[in-house]
Amino acid sequence: MWIDCLRDSAPKSGITVADSQPSFDPIALLAALDRHRVTYIVIGAFARVVQGTEEVTRGIDIVPSTREENLRRLDTALGELHASYAEGAEEAVADAGSSQAVRVLATDFGELKVVPRPVGTGGYDDLRRAATREPLGQGLRPSVASVGDLSRMLSALEREADLPKIKALRRLAELEMTRGIER
Amino acid sequence: MIREARLRAGLTQTELGERTGRERSVIARWEQGAVSPSIDNLLDVVHACGFDLPLVLVTRDVAQDERLEANRKLSPERRVDRLLARLRAEERDNGG
Repeated sequence: MWIDCLRDSAPKSGITVADSQPSFDPIALLAALDRHRVTYIVIGAFARVVQGTEEVTRGIDIVPSTREENLRRLDTALGELHASYAEGAEEAVADAGSSQAVRVLATDFGELKVVPRPVGTGGYDDLRRAATREPLGQGLRPSVASVGDLSRMLSALEREADLPKIKALRRLAELEMTRGIER
Repeated sequence: MIREARLRAGLTQTELGERTGRERSVIARWEQGAVSPSIDNLLDVVHACGFDLPLVLVTRDVAQDERLEANRKLSPERRVDRLLARLRAEERDNGG
């Protein structure tokens, strides 16, 4: 069962390892999650791009609701996406920053990182408070973490390499705040 | 910045107010940007959360500000389209 992916004790045996990189189609990937009514929040580089930063990414990071029913839906969606452990996943897990098990999966439409509880946050219930629905076309409106929360997650990792990204997010937050006051 | 420090410290606005001797509403207004704290107050609150905020002068990246301002005017859909266009261009450049 794929839901076991979110449990630290999950055995990895029997799960295939992807050996090629499919082209990245974020809309198709998110649409598959929506078709199965998976509840999640988009975080990471893709979320930062949606919020207005300039980055290049070939994957999507999500924080799913860890309620049992939702994990079952996620399980079904991952099956449809032919999810398998991505090559080099162990290194990526270490890089993702989470206080719980992170799973890096290769899917038909690119890499999907499932992060139950990003460092510096309390997970889905924490992030959903400030997350917003962002229209990405084709009727897709995923919940995307707020600029403030994206900044919080990056700064909690305390990596010098992330400073330019944090700076860009803070600048975006300032611009948003200015716009709010101008209204 | 205050909200980020407070949440990373796992504090409520009330708890942070108690730690710094301020009303919860003051913390809330600072977090919402309705009122800006002085530098001294900002540092005081950040310290109360267990963090430091080193203040250093760096050259302002005006070009980045302009790019972010331009990005902000695009819809989220257009931002994603632009990302995908960049990826396609990279693949072409790499002969993929």
